[in-house]
Amino acid sequence: MQRRALFKRIASKPHLDQKVIHAAPPTGNFTKYQGEWTNIQAAHLLRRSLFGFNYEMLKQITEEGFENAIEMITSDLPAVEPPLNYDFEVDPDVPLGSTWVDAPYNVVNNSNGYRNRSLVGWTMSKILSTEINIREKMTLFWHNHFVTAGVNDSRFEYQYINLFRSNPLPNFRDLVKQITIDPTMLRYLDGRSNTKTSPNENFGRELLELFTIGKGPQVAPGDYTHFTEQDVRAFSRALTGWVDFGYRNTTRPDFGSSFIANRHDQDDKILSHRFNNTVISNLGDQEYNVLIDTIFEQDEVSRFMSRKLYRWFVYYKIDDTIEQQIIEPMAQMIRDNDYSIKEAVIALLSSDHFYSYDHIGCMIKNPIDFVGGVTKNIEMLDPPNDLTIQYTYWQRTFNSFRTMQMEYFNPPNVAGWKAYYQEPSYYQGWLNAVTLPLRQNFSNGKIINGAIASDNRLKGDYLAMIAKYDNPYDVNEVITNIVAVMLSKPISENQILALKEILLPGLPDFEWTVEYGDYILNPDNAQLKTALLNKLSDLLLYISRMPEYQLS
Amino acid sequence: MKRRSFIQTSSLVTLPLMLGGMEVTAISKSSLATLINPDTDKVLVLVQLNGGNDGLNTFIPLDQFDNLMKVRSNIMLPETSILKTGDNNGFHPSMEGFKSLYDTGQMGVIQSVSYPNQNRSHFRSTDIWNSASDSEDYISTGWLGRHFDLEYPGYPDDYPNEDYPDPFAITLGYVVSETCQGDLANFSYATIGSDGLGQLVDTVSGEPDNTCYGMELDFVKKVVTQSNAYSTVVSDAFAKGNNMVDYPDMKLADQLKIVANLVSGGLTTKVYVVSLGGFDTHANQVIGGDTLNGTHTELMDELSSSIAAFQADINALGLQERVIGMTFSEFGRRIASNDGFGTDHGTAAPLFVFGGCVKGGIYGENPQISENILPNEGVPMQYDFRSIYASILIDWFEVEASQVRSVLFEDFQHIPFLKDCITTTGIEEFDDQLITATIYPNPSEGHAILEADTEGGKVGVQLYDCNGSLLKIVLDKKLQKSHHSIPIDLSLYASGNYFVRIVEGSKQKTLKIVKI
Repeated sequence: MQRRALFKRIASKPHLDQKVIHAAPPTGNFTKYQGEWTNIQAAHLLRRSLFGFNYEMLKQITEEGFENAIEMITSDLPAVEPPLNYDFEVDPDVPLGSTWVDAPYNVVNNSNGYRNRSLVGWTMSKILSTEINIREKMTLFWHNHFVTAGVNDSRFEYQYINLFRSNPLPNFRDLVKQITIDPTMLRYLDGRSNTKTSPNENFGRELLELFTIGKGPQVAPGDYTHFTEQDVRAFSRALTGWVDFGYRNTTRPDFGSSFIANRHDQDDKILSHRFNNTVISNLGDQEYNVLIDTIFEQDEVSRFMSRKLYRWFVYYKIDDTIEQQIIEPMAQMIRDNDYSIKEAVIALLSSDHFYSYDHIGCMIKNPIDFVGGVTKNIEMLDPPNDLTIQYTYWQRTFNSFRTMQMEYFNPPNVAGWKAYYQEPSYYQGWLNAVTLPLRQNFSNGKIINGAIASDNRLKGDYLAMIAKYDNPYDVNEVITNIVAVMLSKPISENQILALKEILLPGLPDFEWTVEYGDYILNPDNAQLKTALLNKLSDLLLYISRMPEYQLS
Repeated sequence: MKRRSFIQTSSLVTLPLMLGGMEVTAISKSSLATLINPDTDKVLVLVQLNGGNDGLNTFIPLDQFDNLMKVRSNIMLPETSILKTGDNNGFHPSMEGFKSLYDTGQMGVIQSVSYPNQNRSHFRSTDIWNSASDSEDYISTGWLGRHFDLEYPGYPDDYPNEDYPDPFAITLGYVVSETCQGDLANFSYATIGSDGLGQLVDTVSGEPDNTCYGMELDFVKKVVTQSNAYSTVVSDAFAKGNNMVDYPDMKLADQLKIVANLVSGGLTTKVYVVSLGGFDTHANQVIGGDTLNGTHTELMDELSSSIAAFQADINALGLQERVIGMTFSEFGRRIASNDGFGTDHGTAAPLFVFGGCVKGGIYGENPQISENILPNEGVPMQYDFRSIYASILIDWFEVEASQVRSVLFEDFQHIPFLKDCITTTGIEEFDDQLITATIYPNPSEGHAILEADTEGGKVGVQLYDCNGSLLKIVLDKKLQKSHHSIPIDLSLYASGNYFVRIVEGSKQKTLKIVKI
């Protein structure tokens, strides 16, 4: 112990030239952004509201201008086509090429296996979509908010996720009502075993603690400032009687949720002083609506949701200044719009705060962001128009973020992915000595080799990519454009020199013009083409390995 | 505001070829030998059982067998199959490995470990075990992280370095362990095995500025440099180390095999975290009608065989005086089983400590099982899990009591389950761990008396309900060495089973009282 103590003192001796980073106080408020609209702001908006983008998307959104960009990103989209049976020939109810989402469960042929493959592949195809819209990121937001996992009937999972995807910027109160009796949720949080004689508090507790109002400091036994244990019990009793039906059921073709009156507790439920001692009398299958309306009478719900959205779109740190300058006005806006959240999300993504230079790039990408980002940044080719090849490729891509610790349809627990709530690490929890190399293995492989889909190699054509630039003959423009897509902030002079060194080792800039010009004049010359492709591939590889590439 | 200095990384930014672990490793090899004292360098292996283990079917209280049959008959193991450690206890039939460790004095069983106001939520209760917080407190650092913060202030800046080339903790798996979360960074290095994923390529990276972007960039850069430095020393140690016994082909055994290899390879890492999942046995914990088989049997086999192989390896490698291990799980399960041949979230469960320096035997008493219990009743707590942490910090890592207090926030009972490693084998009797105490009348209509002999120290008396909730602290003060009659007032509570726990120093006793 003596020896150790000595070394500790030496190790902790202050360095005179030590540099200390103090994070500057956050800047910008909730008012509308009035500053310039360059590809930096446009890329920031795309990075935070999509799973990756490419040069054309960035160019489009930069040219559209601020107002149109926000409008486009938050506009309603037509409903998506459901996932299809692409390879399973023995489901009697679902021929190849048709959807299974409302077909009977078929245990004889163990049909759920193919349906699950189809569901996750289809989900991946949505993530990889190059549509400029917030839909996919909001869908994942809601999945992370109203977590379900481990429900092994893909029809249930599809219906659950469709609740979010079909209306990604909804009225929050309505969504809470829908999810309360959603069959997947009734299974995941045991609502189906919540009965008058044997109440199960699992959903009732999370409805308050994680889904709507949040747990404040405990100020007395069982009193968490925003609700009490008495409320958990009363809420649970009010929700008795709801069950799902048709889960993995081979004798009835339909599925959903229903209300069984004789399992419902008909006595009065008395809420605590936190809800003004409200008494909820028996209203049978309508009782949950009244219950949820009662929660939404508390302003805290709008603050709770504002914080959740802030951590999803801006940054994890919420101090008193953020609380006053951003959370409060945002919560007010949510209430002013009767709990529709669309206006508040638009205001947040249009705010001065959102575009403050400080906030650009300070989010660590989650694995889905990373995978979607690589795929689109380097313009990997889409799979050919063949259902089996497409779905197989999408599924394989889906599996890559599973090992990076973010599995769609399987968050680690009811509170969602830790990066969005676990103090003090938050987003930093995504990266460690295992997951960072896994990310780099993914990007290395995709940039160098692309992906194999049947007989097709899906690799980005980097020459086609730079051909879209205004002046691909200019090495500085090539670097600037690639950096604008892949990195969130401009990089230092040193870094630009390092990148140029990859394209032009020890050569003056005009040599790029010469080499590229040669290739344009002789596009069939394989040697010229390969030399340029290798250079561009090395450049992308280098940027993908920069710590900056992990930031969004 | 958290301060982050980055002298090392910033001074190296302009010299990209020097980044990474190379120079650190080069230095470490020469200075390593002078720093480590192989005789005193202690290693703790945490075996995390995710999901909440059913303690009553792991270490079975045979004197309660009849009443257990009444409340969990559909999952009870045949009495004759249980591997008896004595008249009153026995291991699950698939745990021959644990039985043998117990018989050779290398395993301690600490009965009924939990914390007041058991939360029964997986993630919350896991957070509580990881952080060592009270049930009502939210603490964002881990108990070992706080210990490391005091030992190595300023981490992760300037680490690894010449004096400390190795990771302080290693997690086998994809995520770092929250037990090792410090104030500024997590002290554990995650690895999925010997054949690491290779070095991360260094790039010319920007200098962090004073925005949140700068802070996060600084973090990513540290992950890169630390990963590279640590992956080099870890692979070196792996190459130098070895295993001396065969391990079963099981996931937990695979992890422990790597741990033994790394310790034998000379790594100075203090803590290893391994884990085994699947303990959330709400349904089909056993096969209906065949309770010797099912999920729990497989888990017990994996747990027992893997740890037995590990301990045999550690002994064969001559490391038995440097390595101890302990299991933990977020909660025990309910006493009564459900209709689906499973058990729901409960309260306390036994915790196992193993190693050459463990004083083998049983700590605490068997829980008392009533023949009529409420469906949600759990095994009442005898030992607070933080007493085990405190005892490990004091007896194993030789941490001063005042420092233990700042790591664990308050004083906890010391449980002497570790010994000076002078070879004495055999199982010891721990009657002196128990306070002589009785409670009467029992059942009681409201006013009962706890009769206890105390030794002149600080005495705590607490009243719990059958869900593990702390109802009231009856007493918490220094008492004279004497026989005491302490009134227990139950008149405010509904009829049912309650538990009175009395603690003095390292001794305690938990008594059941029925309110009618």
